[in-house]
Amino acid sequence: MTPAPAGRLVLGALRYAAMVVVAAVLLLPIWWILVSAVRPGSEIFRYASDVGWRTLVPEQLTLEHVRTMLGSDMPRAVFNSMVVSLTTVAAGTMINAAAGFAFAVFAFPFKRALFAFVLLTFMMPFEAIVIPLYTLIRTLDWTNTYAALIVPDLANGLVVFLFRQFFLGIPREIYEAARVDGASWWTIFLRLTMPLSGPTIATAALMQFIHQWDAFFWPLVAASTPELIVVQVAIARNITLEQANWGGLFASASTAILLAMIPFLLLQRYFIRTVTASPDK
Amino acid sequence: MVSFRVPLWIPAAFLAPALLGLLVFRLGPILIALVGGFTGTTLRGDTVYVGLRNYADLAEDPTFWSSIRVTLLFNLIVNPFQICCAMGLALLVLRPTRGVALFRAAYLLPMTVSIALTSVIWSILLEPSVGPVNGLLRALGLPPQPFFRSENQSLATLILVCTWKGAGYWMIFLLAGLLAIPRELHEAAAIDGAGSWQRFLRITLPLMRRPLAFVLVADTAINFLLFAPVYVITHGGPAGSTALLMFEAYQAAFAFLNHGRSLAISTVILAIIGVIAVLELRLFRAAHERAE
Repeated sequence: MTPAPAGRLVLGALRYAAMVVVAAVLLLPIWWILVSAVRPGSEIFRYASDVGWRTLVPEQLTLEHVRTMLGSDMPRAVFNSMVVSLTTVAAGTMINAAAGFAFAVFAFPFKRALFAFVLLTFMMPFEAIVIPLYTLIRTLDWTNTYAALIVPDLANGLVVFLFRQFFLGIPREIYEAARVDGASWWTIFLRLTMPLSGPTIATAALMQFIHQWDAFFWPLVAASTPELIVVQVAIARNITLEQANWGGLFASASTAILLAMIPFLLLQRYFIRTVTASPDK
Repeated sequence: MVSFRVPLWIPAAFLAPALLGLLVFRLGPILIALVGGFTGTTLRGDTVYVGLRNYADLAEDPTFWSSIRVTLLFNLIVNPFQICCAMGLALLVLRPTRGVALFRAAYLLPMTVSIALTSVIWSILLEPSVGPVNGLLRALGLPPQPFFRSENQSLATLILVCTWKGAGYWMIFLLAGLLAIPRELHEAAAIDGAGSWQRFLRITLPLMRRPLAFVLVADTAINFLLFAPVYVITHGGPAGSTALLMFEAYQAAFAFLNHGRSLAISTVILAIIGVIAVLELRLFRAAHERAE
């Protein structure tokens, strides 16, 4: 039964009202943090207890908290997180794409078993192995080095899988033609197939970037000296150690939020397409 | 597609860096946990074989059992709850009417906020005396709440905070499933006189079984290992009410420096995750073999 036009209008209006309420619950907390970073320290909690429109709209804007942040360990942390994330993306994309290429293109013994192993490694969340991984890193004498933060995260089963799926879709004739022309497999991989795989590279890069940028447990355990501090650990430290410096905390939290949102907003189209295609299509 | 037969060293060279990485940094730690769970550290700092002692100690330790209980309780509630919320969101933004694309994108934004940052944000928002959430409750004439400071509310609050971050992420997967249901099915049922609730029960839910199962398993794997909010906000308290297993393993390793115990807990965690991973692999395989 189709509802009468009037009933339909009411239902539609209710639906939009519900969507607005949900959006408010999900977005206003982020907005409040961002606003608190640029309003005077005296205003931050005043309008948190006395809730009104001023809670969400600052009366005055100030950069004092941003200056406080720039004098803290946050710039160092952003630099470290960038180094770790970008190195992981660059090196990780290469080695995982190469493995995906091998699984897609070559015949070799134990292929099925090795591929099942790759699948299993990405079904197992990284957090599950953090503590024994720390034992391993200590044995290698890598604690408090960039290597400890970067190397364990390079090989990524899900990225291998995504590249394999993409390379499987390239027609066999293209590879054969290139072989006839005398190209080596390495040249084919690097010059022929990689330039074709833009969306897969974008997705893989975004996934590895976010994983490193968001990493908290592992850097906390493996490399937490002031020289190697990363963004997430720096912010979590701020809240446990120096509760007095609220303004600086809001400024650094806002910086971390905005820096993570930019690549997401730029690449989310590819991300959503690849993610929604993987479980059930 | 037929694979190319080439000398073995070629695929080996392509595979070596990634497979070596997975072998050393994924399989390696698993073996270390399995073996290390049988070791202990003497007062002089030597590592010695202690047999099943770590596990026997765990089995007799009320703190460990309490953290198992909290972890199970947390997961029994948070996973179904998150998925119901994600499903609600997906249904809400399913029909692509005016402006819906904007709402879809908006609902994804919390997923860009890391779990550590989520913890920091909500520990400020939910601060009982100066936080804006209690400010809002007071403005609405409701009594302020202790949230993370109360033994009775801390776990429920943790569940809500995790759902704030996770619901939009799982919504994408469910939305993809919902969009794949042919319109004609709903139209035909509507012509036969089925109401929207009936269509949801008889058409939507049965066809969504696979995406729902996938999301449930993947979500459970993440929530079983939840660490950051416990570390940042509650430190397991009050009175152990949020002492999740991962935090216990961390405490054993880095607060009490009991290496054998922390590796034994890691082995328990790996065993649970192993079961979940095998389930996930089955679902994943089934989905892909159907597609290929």
